[in-house]
Amino acid sequence: MNNAAQKAFSLNGKTILVTGASSGLGRQIAIACAQRGARLVITGRNAARLQETHDQLAGTGHIQVTADLTIAEDRERLGQASTAIDGVVLCFGGQMLSPIRQLKEDLMTAMYRTHFLAPVMLTQRLLQANVINKQGSIVFMLSTSAHIGTRGVGPYSAMKSGLLGIIRCLAIELAPRRVRVNGISPSVVPTPQLWGEDNEQNEPLNKERQRHPLGLGTPQDVANGAIYLLSDASRWVTGTSLVMDGGAVL
Amino acid sequence: MSAADPFSLAGKRILVTGASSGIGRQIAISCAQMGAQLVVSGRNVERLAATFAELEGEGHIQFGADLSRQEDIDRLAAGAGVLDGLVHAAGISKLAPFRLISRMQLDEMFSSNVYAPMLLTKGLLAKKRIANGGSILFISALASHVGPLATGAYSASKAALLGAMRTLALEVVKQGLRANCIAPGYVRTPMLDSLNQSGGSIDEHAKLTPLGLGEPEDIAYAAVFYLSDASRWITRNYFIVDGGLTVPMDIYA
Repeated sequence: MNNAAQKAFSLNGKTILVTGASSGLGRQIAIACAQRGARLVITGRNAARLQETHDQLAGTGHIQVTADLTIAEDRERLGQASTAIDGVVLCFGGQMLSPIRQLKEDLMTAMYRTHFLAPVMLTQRLLQANVINKQGSIVFMLSTSAHIGTRGVGPYSAMKSGLLGIIRCLAIELAPRRVRVNGISPSVVPTPQLWGEDNEQNEPLNKERQRHPLGLGTPQDVANGAIYLLSDASRWVTGTSLVMDGGAVL
Repeated sequence: MSAADPFSLAGKRILVTGASSGIGRQIAISCAQMGAQLVVSGRNVERLAATFAELEGEGHIQFGADLSRQEDIDRLAAGAGVLDGLVHAAGISKLAPFRLISRMQLDEMFSSNVYAPMLLTKGLLAKKRIANGGSILFISALASHVGPLATGAYSASKAALLGAMRTLALEVVKQGLRANCIAPGYVRTPMLDSLNQSGGSIDEHAKLTPLGLGEPEDIAYAAVFYLSDASRWITRNYFIVDGGLTVPMDIYA
Protein backbone atom coordinates (compact mmCIF):
# COMPACT_ATOMS: atom_id res chain seq x y z
CA MET A 1 0.00 0.00 0.00
CA ASN A 2 1.67 3.15 -1.16
CA ASN A 3 -0.87 5.44 -2.75
CA ALA A 4 -0.71 9.22 -3.26
CA ALA A 5 -2.01 10.16 0.19
CA GLN A 6 0.31 7.80 2.04
CA LYS A 7 3.28 9.07 0.05
CA ALA A 8 2.31 12.66 0.87
CA PHE A 9 2.61 11.93 4.59
CA SER A 10 5.87 9.98 4.32
CA LEU A 11 9.32 11.43 4.96
CA ASN A 12 11.09 8.70 2.96
CA GLY A 13 14.11 10.05 1.13
CA LYS A 14 14.04 13.38 2.96
CA THR A 15 16.88 14.81 5.03
CA ILE A 16 15.68 16.75 8.07
CA LEU A 17 17.81 19.00 10.26
CA VAL A 18 16.56 19.27 13.85
CA THR A 19 18.13 21.70 16.29
CA GLY A 20 17.68 21.31 20.04
CA ALA A 21 17.56 17.57 19.46
CA SER A 22 19.32 16.66 22.71
CA SER A 23 16.11 16.91 24.75
CA GLY A 24 12.40 17.67 24.92
CA LEU A 25 10.43 18.49 21.80
CA GLY A 26 13.49 18.49 19.53
CA ARG A 27 14.42 14.97 20.57
CA GLN A 28 10.90 13.62 20.03
CA ILE A 29 10.64 15.35 16.64
CA ALA A 30 13.94 13.76 15.53
CA ILE A 31 12.84 10.31 16.69
CA ALA A 32 9.42 10.64 15.01
CA CYS A 33 10.93 11.89 11.72
CA ALA A 34 13.33 8.94 11.62
CA GLN A 35 10.43 6.54 12.24
CA ARG A 36 8.71 8.05 9.23
CA GLY A 37 11.68 7.39 7.00
CA ALA A 38 13.76 10.56 7.16
CA ARG A 39 17.53 10.81 7.41
CA LEU A 40 18.34 13.12 10.29
CA VAL A 41 20.96 15.75 10.96
CA ILE A 42 20.62 16.45 14.67
CA THR A 43 22.29 19.11 16.70
CA GLY A 44 22.35 20.16 20.34
CA ARG A 45 24.72 21.57 22.92
CA ASN A 46 25.09 18.52 25.14
CA ALA A 47 27.10 15.81 23.33
CA ALA A 48 26.11 12.99 25.68
CA ARG A 49 22.39 13.73 25.47
CA LEU A 50 22.63 14.26 21.72
CA GLN A 51 24.18 10.78 21.48
CA GLU A 52 21.21 9.39 23.44
CA THR A 53 18.85 10.89 20.84
CA HIS A 54 21.02 9.53 18.04
CA ASP A 55 20.83 6.04 19.58
CA GLN A 56 17.03 6.21 19.38
CA LEU A 57 16.82 7.09 15.66
CA ALA A 58 15.40 4.34 13.45
CA GLY A 59 17.25 3.70 10.18
CA THR A 60 20.78 4.61 9.18
CA GLY A 61 22.82 7.49 7.81
CA HIS A 62 21.94 10.01 10.52
CA ILE A 63 24.55 12.49 11.63
CA GLN A 64 24.98 14.47 14.83
CA VAL A 65 26.76 17.77 15.29
CA THR A 66 27.37 19.10 18.78
CA ALA A 67 26.95 22.86 18.51
CA ASP A 68 25.94 25.96 20.43
CA LEU A 69 23.95 27.86 17.84
CA THR A 70 24.36 31.19 19.58
CA ILE A 71 27.99 31.01 18.36
CA ALA A 72 28.64 31.96 14.74
CA GLU A 73 31.46 29.39 14.23
CA ASP A 74 29.20 26.59 15.45
CA ARG A 75 26.47 27.65 13.01
CA GLU A 76 29.08 27.68 10.26
CA ARG A 77 30.24 24.18 11.21
CA LEU A 78 26.65 22.88 11.24
CA GLY A 79 26.02 24.52 7.87
CA GLN A 80 29.03 22.74 6.42
CA ALA A 81 27.89 19.37 7.79
CA SER A 82 24.43 19.83 6.24
CA THR A 83 23.92 19.05 2.57
CA ALA A 84 20.72 18.73 0.53
CA ILE A 85 18.32 19.46 3.39
CA ASP A 86 14.57 18.98 2.75
CA GLY A 87 13.37 20.15 6.12
CA VAL A 88 14.60 22.19 9.06
CA VAL A 89 13.03 22.24 12.52
CA LEU A 90 14.38 24.98 14.77
CA CYS A 91 13.43 24.08 18.28
CA PHE A 92 16.15 24.64 20.80
CA GLY A 93 15.54 27.12 23.57
CA GLY A 94 14.21 27.33 27.07
CA GLN A 95 11.91 29.55 29.01
CA MET A 96 13.12 32.53 31.03
CA LEU A 97 10.48 34.43 32.97
CA SER A 98 10.70 38.01 34.05
CA PRO A 99 8.14 40.75 34.61
CA ILE A 100 9.16 43.69 32.44
CA ARG A 101 9.62 46.00 35.46
CA GLN A 102 12.36 43.71 36.80
CA LEU A 103 13.83 42.88 33.39
CA LYS A 104 17.65 42.80 33.25
CA GLU A 105 19.52 43.61 30.08
CA ASP A 106 21.54 40.39 30.46
CA LEU A 107 18.42 38.22 30.49
CA MET A 108 16.89 40.03 27.53
CA THR A 109 20.12 39.70 25.56
CA ALA A 110 20.35 36.00 26.39
CA MET A 111 16.73 35.50 25.26
CA TYR A 112 17.43 37.34 22.03
CA ARG A 113 20.57 35.33 21.28
CA THR A 114 18.98 31.97 22.02
CA HIS A 115 15.44 32.34 20.73
CA PHE A 116 15.83 34.78 17.89
CA LEU A 117 19.36 35.37 16.67
CA ALA A 118 20.39 31.70 16.66
CA PRO A 119 17.48 30.25 14.60
CA VAL A 120 17.37 33.24 12.25
CA MET A 121 21.10 33.31 11.56
CA LEU A 122 21.29 29.52 11.19
CA THR A 123 18.53 29.79 8.58
CA GLN A 124 20.53 32.54 6.90
CA ARG A 125 23.62 30.30 6.80
CA LEU A 126 21.70 27.40 5.28
CA LEU A 127 20.09 29.61 2.64
CA GLN A 128 23.34 31.36 1.77
CA ALA A 129 25.11 28.00 1.45
CA ASN A 130 22.25 26.84 -0.79
CA VAL A 131 21.74 23.60 1.12
CA ILE A 132 17.93 23.74 1.38
CA ASN A 133 16.34 21.83 -1.47
CA LYS A 134 13.49 23.09 -3.64
CA GLN A 135 10.08 22.30 -2.09
CA GLY A 136 11.76 22.13 1.29
CA SER A 137 10.10 23.12 4.54
CA ILE A 138 11.38 25.32 7.37
CA VAL A 139 9.62 25.03 10.72
CA PHE A 140 10.23 27.38 13.64
CA MET A 141 9.17 26.13 17.06
CA LEU A 142 7.09 28.95 18.47
CA SER A 143 4.64 28.88 21.33
CA THR A 144 1.12 30.14 21.93
CA SER A 145 2.95 33.00 23.65
CA ALA A 146 3.81 34.25 20.16
CA HIS A 147 0.10 35.12 19.91
CA ILE A 148 -1.11 35.83 23.45
CA GLY A 149 -0.10 37.90 26.47
CA THR A 150 0.84 36.15 29.70
CA ARG A 151 2.15 37.74 32.89
CA GLY A 152 5.93 37.47 33.20
CA VAL A 153 6.47 35.91 29.77
CA GLY A 154 7.30 39.17 27.98
CA PRO A 155 10.87 38.45 26.83
CA TYR A 156 10.02 34.97 25.52
CA SER A 157 6.74 36.11 24.00
CA ALA A 158 8.51 38.95 22.19
CA MET A 159 11.13 36.65 20.65
CA LYS A 160 8.48 34.14 19.49
CA SER A 161 6.38 36.97 18.02
CA GLY A 162 9.51 38.24 16.34
CA LEU A 163 9.95 34.88 14.68
CA LEU A 164 6.41 35.18 13.27
CA GLY A 165 7.66 38.27 11.44
CA ILE A 166 10.59 36.28 10.06
CA ILE A 167 8.25 33.44 9.06
CA ARG A 168 5.95 35.73 7.06
CA CYS A 169 8.70 37.58 5.22
CA LEU A 170 10.79 34.49 4.55
CA ALA A 171 7.68 32.67 3.26
CA ILE A 172 7.34 35.33 0.58
CA GLU A 173 11.06 35.35 -0.21
CA LEU A 174 11.27 31.57 -0.63
CA ALA A 175 7.96 30.97 -2.43
CA PRO A 176 9.57 31.09 -5.90
CA ARG A 177 11.62 28.01 -4.89
CA ARG A 178 8.47 26.47 -3.37
CA VAL A 179 10.16 26.33 0.03
CA ARG A 180 7.55 26.78 2.77
CA VAL A 181 8.15 28.54 6.07
CA ASN A 182 5.86 27.95 9.03
CA GLY A 183 5.74 27.78 12.79
CA ILE A 184 4.27 25.45 15.35
CA SER A 185 2.67 27.17 18.33
CA PRO A 186 2.16 24.64 21.10
CA SER A 187 0.69 25.56 24.42
CA VAL A 188 1.93 23.73 27.53
CA VAL A 189 3.73 20.44 26.86
CA PRO A 190 5.14 19.20 30.16
CA THR A 191 8.75 18.36 29.29
CA PRO A 192 10.74 17.69 32.50
CA GLN A 193 13.48 20.21 31.66
CA LEU A 194 11.07 23.12 31.36
CA TRP A 195 8.30 22.14 33.76
CA GLY A 196 9.83 19.68 36.24
CA GLU A 197 8.18 16.41 37.20
CA ASP A 198 4.48 16.22 36.33
CA ASN A 199 2.83 15.21 39.62
CA GLU A 200 0.17 16.39 42.08
CA GLN A 201 2.60 18.82 43.72
CA ASN A 202 3.42 20.56 40.44
CA GLU A 203 1.02 23.46 40.92
CA PRO A 204 1.89 25.48 37.79
CA LEU A 205 1.29 22.42 35.61
CA ASN A 206 -1.96 21.48 37.29
CA LYS A 207 -3.22 25.03 36.91
CA GLU A 208 -2.32 24.96 33.22
CA ARG A 209 -4.07 21.63 32.78
CA GLN A 210 -7.37 23.13 33.97
CA ARG A 211 -7.15 25.88 31.35
CA HIS A 212 -6.93 23.38 28.46
CA PRO A 213 -10.19 21.66 27.47
CA LEU A 214 -8.26 18.66 26.08
CA GLY A 215 -5.62 18.71 28.81
CA LEU A 216 -1.92 19.19 28.15
CA GLY A 217 -0.06 17.97 25.08
CA THR A 218 2.74 15.45 24.68
CA PRO A 219 6.00 15.80 22.74
CA GLN A 220 4.57 13.22 20.30
CA ASP A 221 1.59 15.50 19.56
CA VAL A 222 3.98 18.30 18.63
CA ALA A 223 6.12 15.88 16.61
CA ASN A 224 3.03 14.88 14.60
CA GLY A 225 2.40 18.54 13.82
CA ALA A 226 6.01 18.86 12.69
CA ILE A 227 5.68 15.78 10.45
CA TYR A 228 2.64 17.31 8.74
CA LEU A 229 4.51 20.57 8.13
CA LEU A 230 7.67 18.76 6.90
CA SER A 231 5.90 16.30 4.60
CA ASP A 232 4.63 17.01 1.09
CA ALA A 233 1.11 16.89 2.55
CA SER A 234 1.58 20.56 3.50
CA ARG A 235 3.23 21.73 0.26
CA TRP A 236 0.65 24.58 -0.06
CA VAL A 237 0.88 25.75 3.57
CA THR A 238 3.21 28.68 4.13
CA GLY A 239 3.62 31.78 6.27
CA THR A 240 1.45 30.55 9.12
CA SER A 241 1.79 28.77 12.43
CA LEU A 242 0.03 25.59 13.47
CA VAL A 243 -1.54 26.28 16.85
CA MET A 244 -1.64 23.22 19.11
CA ASP A 245 -3.30 24.13 22.37
CA GLY A 246 -5.84 21.51 23.40
CA GLY A 247 -8.62 24.02 22.75
CA ALA A 248 -7.35 26.76 25.08
CA VAL A 249 -7.55 29.12 22.07
CA LEU A 250 -5.60 32.23 21.39
CA MET B 1 2.33 1.80 7.28
CA SER B 2 1.51 0.16 10.60
CA ALA B 3 -1.75 0.38 12.54
CA ALA B 4 0.10 2.51 15.10
CA ASP B 5 0.67 5.19 12.46
CA PRO B 6 -0.96 8.34 13.94
CA PHE B 7 -1.76 9.65 10.45
CA SER B 8 -3.59 6.49 9.38
CA LEU B 9 -7.38 6.58 9.16
CA ALA B 10 -7.71 2.78 9.21
CA GLY B 11 -10.65 1.72 11.33
CA LYS B 12 -12.28 5.14 11.16
CA ARG B 13 -15.66 5.88 9.55
CA ILE B 14 -15.81 9.36 8.05
CA LEU B 15 -18.77 11.25 6.61
CA VAL B 16 -17.89 13.80 3.92
CA THR B 17 -20.61 16.11 2.61
CA GLY B 18 -20.23 17.78 -0.76
CA ALA B 19 -18.32 14.72 -1.94
CA SER B 20 -19.70 14.93 -5.48
CA SER B 21 -17.12 17.50 -6.55
CA GLY B 22 -14.14 19.69 -5.76
CA ILE B 23 -12.65 19.73 -2.28
CA GLY B 24 -15.20 17.32 -0.79
CA ARG B 25 -14.58 14.79 -3.52
CA GLN B 26 -10.83 14.85 -2.98
CA ILE B 27 -11.17 14.67 0.82
CA ALA B 28 -13.22 11.49 0.40
CA ILE B 29 -10.70 9.97 -2.02
CA SER B 30 -7.67 10.85 0.15
CA CYS B 31 -9.35 9.64 3.36
CA ALA B 32 -10.06 6.31 1.68
CA GLN B 33 -6.40 6.13 0.61
CA MET B 34 -5.44 6.60 4.27
CA GLY B 35 -7.63 3.62 5.17
CA ALA B 36 -10.94 5.18 6.22
CA GLN B 37 -14.40 3.83 5.50
CA LEU B 38 -16.38 6.62 3.89
CA VAL B 39 -19.96 7.79 3.98
CA VAL B 40 -20.13 10.22 1.07
CA SER B 41 -23.01 12.58 0.49
CA GLY B 42 -23.79 15.01 -2.32
CA ARG B 43 -26.65 16.50 -4.27
CA ASN B 44 -25.73 15.23 -7.72
CA VAL B 45 -26.09 11.44 -7.50
CA GLU B 46 -24.29 10.78 -10.79
CA ARG B 47 -21.19 12.72 -9.77
CA LEU B 48 -21.43 11.25 -6.27
CA ALA B 49 -21.38 7.77 -7.82
CA ALA B 50 -18.26 8.79 -9.76
CA THR B 51 -16.53 9.79 -6.50
CA PHE B 52 -17.76 6.58 -4.88
CA ALA B 53 -16.20 4.53 -7.68
CA GLU B 54 -12.81 6.14 -6.99
CA LEU B 55 -12.71 5.22 -3.29
CA GLU B 56 -10.02 2.70 -2.36
CA GLY B 57 -10.98 -0.10 0.01
CA GLU B 58 -14.36 -1.50 0.94
CA GLY B 59 -17.42 -0.82 3.02
CA HIS B 60 -18.07 2.73 1.82
CA ILE B 61 -21.61 4.00 1.40
CA GLN B 62 -23.08 6.85 -0.65
CA PHE B 63 -25.99 9.03 0.25
CA GLY B 64 -27.69 11.35 -2.26
CA ALA B 65 -28.88 14.32 -0.21
CA ASP B 66 -29.69 18.00 -0.67
CA LEU B 67 -28.64 19.41 2.69
CA SER B 68 -30.53 22.66 2.15
CA ARG B 69 -33.59 20.48 2.98
CA GLN B 70 -34.18 19.49 6.61
CA GLU B 71 -35.66 16.11 5.62
CA ASP B 72 -32.42 15.22 3.84
CA ILE B 73 -30.35 16.30 6.86
CA ASP B 74 -32.52 14.10 9.08
CA ARG B 75 -32.27 11.18 6.67
CA LEU B 76 -28.48 11.47 6.50
CA ALA B 77 -28.12 11.82 10.30
CA ALA B 78 -30.29 8.73 10.75
CA GLY B 79 -28.59 6.66 8.07
CA ALA B 80 -24.91 7.52 8.44
CA GLY B 81 -24.22 5.13 11.32
CA VAL B 82 -21.55 5.69 13.96
CA LEU B 83 -18.80 8.04 12.78
CA ASP B 84 -15.25 8.89 13.83
CA GLY B 85 -15.00 11.88 11.54
CA LEU B 86 -17.33 14.39 9.94
CA VAL B 87 -16.26 16.81 7.20
CA HIS B 88 -18.60 19.60 6.16
CA ALA B 89 -17.32 20.28 2.65
CA ALA B 90 -20.68 20.96 0.96
CA GLY B 91 -21.16 24.60 0.11
CA ILE B 92 -22.25 27.01 -2.56
CA SER B 93 -20.86 30.27 -3.82
CA LYS B 94 -22.45 33.03 -5.84
CA LEU B 95 -21.19 36.51 -6.55
CA ALA B 96 -23.45 39.47 -5.88
CA PRO B 97 -22.53 43.09 -5.11
CA PHE B 98 -23.80 44.20 -1.72
CA ARG B 99 -26.44 46.57 -3.10
CA LEU B 100 -28.02 43.66 -5.01
CA ILE B 101 -28.12 41.15 -2.13
CA SER B 102 -31.62 39.79 -1.59
CA ARG B 103 -33.17 37.91 1.32
CA MET B 104 -33.65 34.97 -1.01
CA GLN B 105 -29.95 34.84 -1.85
CA LEU B 106 -28.98 35.09 1.81
CA ASP B 107 -31.43 32.33 2.73
CA GLU B 108 -30.03 30.11 0.01
CA MET B 109 -26.38 30.80 0.92
CA PHE B 110 -26.84 30.41 4.67
CA SER B 111 -29.08 27.39 4.26
CA SER B 112 -26.31 25.48 2.43
CA ASN B 113 -23.19 26.93 3.99
CA VAL B 114 -24.21 27.48 7.64
CA TYR B 115 -27.52 25.85 8.58
CA ALA B 116 -26.72 22.53 6.89
CA PRO B 117 -23.39 21.88 8.67
CA MET B 118 -24.74 23.13 12.01
CA LEU B 119 -27.97 21.13 11.83
CA LEU B 120 -26.33 17.98 10.49
CA THR B 121 -23.82 18.13 13.36
CA LYS B 122 -26.67 18.70 15.80
CA GLY B 123 -28.62 15.76 14.33
CA LEU B 124 -25.63 13.42 14.62
CA LEU B 125 -24.81 14.57 18.16
CA ALA B 126 -28.43 14.16 19.27
CA LYS B 127 -28.34 10.56 18.05
CA LYS B 128 -24.87 10.05 19.62
CA ARG B 129 -23.50 9.05 16.23
CA ILE B 130 -20.03 10.59 16.65
CA ALA B 131 -17.76 8.22 18.57
CA ASN B 132 -15.38 9.22 21.37
CA GLY B 133 -12.20 10.66 19.87
CA GLY B 134 -14.13 11.83 16.81
CA SER B 135 -13.14 14.86 14.78
CA ILE B 136 -15.54 17.38 13.23
CA LEU B 137 -14.14 19.54 10.47
CA PHE B 138 -15.69 22.58 8.81
CA ILE B 139 -14.40 23.73 5.44
CA SER B 140 -14.60 27.49 5.73
CA ALA B 141 -12.88 29.82 3.23
CA LEU B 142 -10.41 32.64 3.47
CA ALA B 143 -13.12 34.89 2.07
CA SER B 144 -14.23 35.00 5.72
CA HIS B 145 -11.19 37.11 6.56
CA VAL B 146 -10.43 38.75 3.22
CA GLY B 147 -13.85 39.67 1.82
CA PRO B 148 -13.21 39.88 -1.93
CA LEU B 149 -15.57 42.05 -4.01
CA ALA B 150 -19.14 40.82 -4.43
CA THR B 151 -18.78 38.00 -1.91
CA GLY B 152 -20.76 39.61 0.93
CA ALA B 153 -23.17 36.71 1.38
CA TYR B 154 -20.55 34.00 0.82
CA SER B 155 -17.92 35.61 3.06
CA ALA B 156 -20.48 36.14 5.82
CA SER B 157 -21.57 32.51 5.62
CA LYS B 158 -18.00 31.22 5.81
CA ALA B 159 -17.16 33.55 8.70
CA ALA B 160 -20.19 32.22 10.57
CA LEU B 161 -18.61 28.75 10.63
CA LEU B 162 -15.74 30.04 12.76
CA GLY B 163 -18.05 31.12 15.56
CA ALA B 164 -20.10 27.94 15.31
CA MET B 165 -16.99 25.76 15.45
CA ARG B 166 -15.47 27.53 18.47
CA THR B 167 -18.62 27.04 20.55
CA LEU B 168 -19.24 23.51 19.33
CA ALA B 169 -15.70 22.43 20.20
CA LEU B 170 -16.09 23.69 23.76
CA GLU B 171 -19.43 21.92 24.17
CA VAL B 172 -18.34 18.51 22.85
CA VAL B 173 -14.93 18.27 24.52
CA LYS B 174 -16.46 16.28 27.39
CA GLN B 175 -17.52 13.60 24.89
CA GLY B 176 -13.93 13.46 23.69
CA LEU B 177 -14.75 15.15 20.39
CA ARG B 178 -12.77 17.81 18.56
CA ALA B 179 -13.96 20.49 16.13
CA ASN B 180 -11.83 22.61 13.80
CA CYS B 181 -12.01 24.77 10.68
CA ILE B 182 -9.82 24.71 7.62
CA ALA B 183 -9.82 27.94 5.62
CA PRO B 184 -8.64 27.31 2.05
CA GLY B 185 -7.46 30.03 -0.29
CA TYR B 186 -7.97 29.73 -4.08
CA VAL B 187 -8.07 26.05 -5.05
CA ARG B 188 -8.55 24.59 -8.53
CA THR B 189 -12.18 23.38 -8.27
CA PRO B 190 -15.40 23.52 -10.33
CA MET B 191 -16.62 26.22 -7.89
CA LEU B 192 -13.67 28.42 -8.79
CA ASP B 193 -14.27 27.81 -12.51
CA SER B 194 -17.88 28.89 -12.25
CA LEU B 195 -16.94 32.02 -10.31
CA ASN B 196 -14.49 32.89 -13.05
CA GLN B 197 -17.21 32.50 -15.65
CA SER B 198 -19.53 34.80 -13.72
CA GLY B 199 -16.98 37.60 -13.88
CA GLY B 200 -14.96 37.02 -10.71
CA SER B 201 -11.45 38.38 -10.44
CA ILE B 202 -10.24 34.99 -9.21
CA ASP B 203 -7.46 34.77 -11.80
CA GLU B 204 -5.99 37.92 -10.32
CA HIS B 205 -6.10 36.45 -6.82
CA ALA B 206 -4.53 33.22 -8.01
CA LYS B 207 -1.67 35.31 -9.38
CA LEU B 208 -1.32 36.94 -5.97
CA THR B 209 -0.87 33.56 -4.28
CA PRO B 210 2.88 33.12 -3.66
CA LEU B 211 2.70 29.34 -4.24
CA GLY B 212 0.15 29.60 -7.08
CA LEU B 213 -3.31 28.07 -7.26
CA GLY B 214 -3.87 25.20 -4.82
CA GLU B 215 -4.96 21.69 -5.72
CA PRO B 216 -7.85 19.87 -3.98
CA GLU B 217 -5.23 17.43 -2.58
CA ASP B 218 -3.65 20.26 -0.58
CA ILE B 219 -6.88 20.76 1.34
CA ALA B 220 -7.57 17.02 1.50
CA TYR B 221 -4.21 16.32 3.19
CA ALA B 222 -4.85 19.07 5.75
CA ALA B 223 -8.23 17.39 6.36
CA VAL B 224 -6.52 14.00 6.81
CA PHE B 225 -4.25 15.56 9.45
CA TYR B 226 -7.22 17.09 11.30
CA LEU B 227 -9.21 13.83 11.14
CA SER B 228 -6.35 11.59 12.23
CA ASP B 229 -5.09 10.98 15.76
CA ALA B 230 -1.96 12.94 14.79
CA SER B 231 -3.99 16.07 15.64
CA ARG B 232 -5.58 14.68 18.83
CA TRP B 233 -4.46 17.73 20.84
CA ILE B 234 -5.88 20.26 18.35
CA THR B 235 -9.39 21.60 18.77
CA ARG B 236 -11.12 25.00 18.27
CA ASN B 237 -8.45 25.74 15.67
CA TYR B 238 -8.85 27.77 12.50
CA PHE B 239 -6.15 26.69 10.08
CA ILE B 240 -5.30 28.66 6.95
CA VAL B 241 -4.21 26.65 3.89
CA ASP B 242 -3.73 29.24 1.18
CA GLY B 243 -0.34 28.98 -0.51
CA GLY B 244 0.69 32.19 1.25
CA LEU B 245 -2.13 34.35 -0.19
CA THR B 246 -2.81 36.14 3.09
CA VAL B 247 0.80 36.39 4.26
CA PRO B 248 1.14 39.95 2.92
CA MET B 249 -2.32 40.91 4.25
CA ASP B 250 -3.27 41.94 7.77
CA ILE B 251 -6.41 39.84 7.88
CA TYR B 252 -6.91 40.50 11.59
CA ALA B 253 -6.90 44.28 11.17
